[in-house]
Amino acid sequence: MLSVLIWGPFGGALALALLPADWSPARFRQIALAIASLMLLWTLAIAWQFDPAPATWQFSESLAWLPPLGLRYSLGLDGLSFPLICLNSLLTVIAIYSSAVERSRPRFYYLLLLLLSGSVAGAFLARDLLLFFLFYELEIVPLYFLIAIWGGQRRGYAAMKFLLYTAISGILVLASFLGVVWLTAADSFAYDPQLAQTLPLTTQLLLLLPLLVGLLIKIPIFPFHTWLPDAHVEASTPVSVLLAGVLLKLGTYGLLRFGIGLFLDAWVAIAPWLATLAAISALYGALSAIAQQDMKKVVAYSSIAHMAYILLAAAASTPLSLTAAVFQMVSHGLISALLFLLVGVVYAKTGSRDVTVLRGLLNPERGLPLVGSLTILAAMASAGIPGMVGFIAEFMVFRGSFPLFKIQTLWCMVGTGLTAVYFLLMINRVFFGRLPETLANLPRVQWQERLPAVVLTLLIVIFGVQPGWMVRWSEPQMTVLVVSPDLQASTQAVSSWKSQAVRFAAGSAPPLPVEDF
Amino acid sequence: MVTAQLKPTKRHPLSAYIERLEAGGALLADSPQNVLEVVGILKSYGVVLDAYSRNLVYIADHQFLVLLPFFKYFNGQVSLPRLLAHWSHDRLNFEYAEYCLKAMFWHGGGRLDAYLDTAEFRQLAIAAIRARWQGNWLIQIVDRLFPDFLLEQVRVMAYYSGLGQFWRVMSDMFLALSDRYDRGEIHSIPQVVQHILDGLVAAATQPITYGVQLQGQNYPILPATAGLTFLADTAVPYVEAVFLRGTPFLGTVSYNAQAYQIPNEPALFTYGALYADPLPIGGSGIPPTLLMQDMRHFLPTYLHDFYRQSPRQADDLRVQICQSFQKSMFCVTTAAIQGLAPHPFTTTDPEARAANRAYLLPWLNRLQASQIERANTVP
Repeated sequence: MLSVLIWGPFGGALALALLPADWSPARFRQIALAIASLMLLWTLAIAWQFDPAPATWQFSESLAWLPPLGLRYSLGLDGLSFPLICLNSLLTVIAIYSSAVERSRPRFYYLLLLLLSGSVAGAFLARDLLLFFLFYELEIVPLYFLIAIWGGQRRGYAAMKFLLYTAISGILVLASFLGVVWLTAADSFAYDPQLAQTLPLTTQLLLLLPLLVGLLIKIPIFPFHTWLPDAHVEASTPVSVLLAGVLLKLGTYGLLRFGIGLFLDAWVAIAPWLATLAAISALYGALSAIAQQDMKKVVAYSSIAHMAYILLAAAASTPLSLTAAVFQMVSHGLISALLFLLVGVVYAKTGSRDVTVLRGLLNPERGLPLVGSLTILAAMASAGIPGMVGFIAEFMVFRGSFPLFKIQTLWCMVGTGLTAVYFLLMINRVFFGRLPETLANLPRVQWQERLPAVVLTLLIVIFGVQPGWMVRWSEPQMTVLVVSPDLQASTQAVSSWKSQAVRFAAGSAPPLPVEDF
Repeated sequence: MVTAQLKPTKRHPLSAYIERLEAGGALLADSPQNVLEVVGILKSYGVVLDAYSRNLVYIADHQFLVLLPFFKYFNGQVSLPRLLAHWSHDRLNFEYAEYCLKAMFWHGGGRLDAYLDTAEFRQLAIAAIRARWQGNWLIQIVDRLFPDFLLEQVRVMAYYSGLGQFWRVMSDMFLALSDRYDRGEIHSIPQVVQHILDGLVAAATQPITYGVQLQGQNYPILPATAGLTFLADTAVPYVEAVFLRGTPFLGTVSYNAQAYQIPNEPALFTYGALYADPLPIGGSGIPPTLLMQDMRHFLPTYLHDFYRQSPRQADDLRVQICQSFQKSMFCVTTAAIQGLAPHPFTTTDPEARAANRAYLLPWLNRLQASQIERANTVP
């Protein structure tokens, strides 16, 4: 059942490759959209049957692939990967739908998008370390071409930078996996949380370090982040949507699945450093966003800041914080995808993303009033305004991490406050004031262009009002992921708060905590 | 030696317009597109003015001193369907007419304003007030306690009637212009201006009178003996109050009078229709969007088709209407400038030309902050 999510897009890509190249771009787009939509429906069918309560692998598939290498084609779905699979399927549909109908080399473009979607799905579903690595590396190829061919003026530079950074990331991840298997004398690369537990702490640390650096590049976290703003600025809107919405999540997924899953003791040992790094990255991202003039760069640096919250939550490693990390991954996926979509519409209509050039776009007659309104809403969600998914995610992250890392959490909360600063600066400059004469004849925004943004907005509000609908998928899995006795005391205290926080978000205020952390 | 040519006015920011007016042109450049826009918009404006005019006259005649005039916009035809249509805002914005009326009343000017302060008017108004409230002791006592209150209401009623009569003439004039355009008789902006000028001149001495029927008896408020006429007592004050001055109210832009953001002298106000920003930004002044909203229902097909060719098609219809409306108002202003000029602009007499130049400069000085450049540059 899970293989369909991988081989469906791959098969679709192959089918596109076999079609005549002289077909119209609209036709290729329709075919790709149909395939992606089928995958989304398939994901919903899986969701219908997925039971989060057992907190075990479900829909497992396993085939011997290369026995001499210990490689198995082994897939599974649990509470950690399920939300991300849903996000991937949804954003692939949105990315294809929001791709401009008229574009050069459409067959290759949609083929790459499908390849990308299938690779990401494979990475999330893999139950084998080497299989994860293969898909992790595979997704770099289509993304490189998507930036290098359909990107902006400096696309070559951005694509090469992306390739170098993420290739190094992959090498480091592979080195860590190889080290685990060799040092434990395992006969396969099958994912087993107990695999590295037998190793001494120092050895675990030595194995965790390359994995960590590799994944921090992918997320990205300061100081490994410099590829991301360039990639976002040069990538086309649909690619930015996928990059921010799903691809960055491979890094945070890897942290939870392999960083914590394989090396929990080592993870606990370096957790304070990780939390500090998260705080630095959050503040760095927020302060950098304030200084940007390009709307896309503002959103890109915002991504760096918001992804750091996931690292903070992962560092805390309490059930609440890990559930929050998953929630924040989905939340950031929806919000950043929405922001990039909206910035894309602004750019398509005005020809500029420069906040010093744009002004008055909220004008009801000649501006982009709905786009402006949705941008304000997305900024509010990103800044953690109650009623939207961002608030719940950040609230849970901070509640989960505060008992363990008070200072770092407070700094991250400052970063959240700065989110409002940089987005309000951007919104004030771009959307308020009088529309200048140079922008007084903007083309219309069609309903087709608004639809993806409206869908994402609805999800942001729905999960903001009713977060339980998302939390329930991951909560049991995140609870069993952490077994460290050092964290048990705080884990139990925080656990009681988790349900209260969720109820609070749903409308009923909980009593103030009485635990003294 | 005296030459027939005046010195060029290079130093004046609007020198090109001065020279154009002196050459017999208009404040708005002559082009087929401008003709189409101006005539088309004046057609819809004529229809709207017709409705505004009828309503103003109805209020003046039939809502005289009605203290709570709930149904004043219904012209006496109150029914449930009309009430529902009104509440759902499926109606004309008669409020716009009242804003214009109040701007005229506030700025005053002309003999109508002066007459309303005379003893003769006071006597006539008091007679009407007494007839209106005959047998109503409560109102009579209130009137005794505050003798200026109802008197001021009668002055407002006089303006209702005056503006209604003014717009009656203008509505017919604009609709006649549209008919001539449809017959192929209008091809240029100067022809449009001439049509308006001819209409103003023809109606210039038309008397402005007002009286109310109370208890079966006619009570004059503005009698014919007051000598009030269309051009001097309604048209000119209207242009001054609504086109030029306007009011620094009703918008969302906050003006700080103590910081001199509003001129001390109302004569220096520049909040009128010629200055209004076509983009709805919440600027102060009479909201042009109300009028634009009304006019869009009556656009001739050729103008609607023209608007639909714009990049936003019908999305920014009200902005496009406002821009066309301002173009047309510059034509009306041109007609007013020409009509009030001391000498015809076609004169070759140097002294007459110099006098015309001296007459034009203050006009153009006032128009510096207006939308004149935009009206002549925006396609």
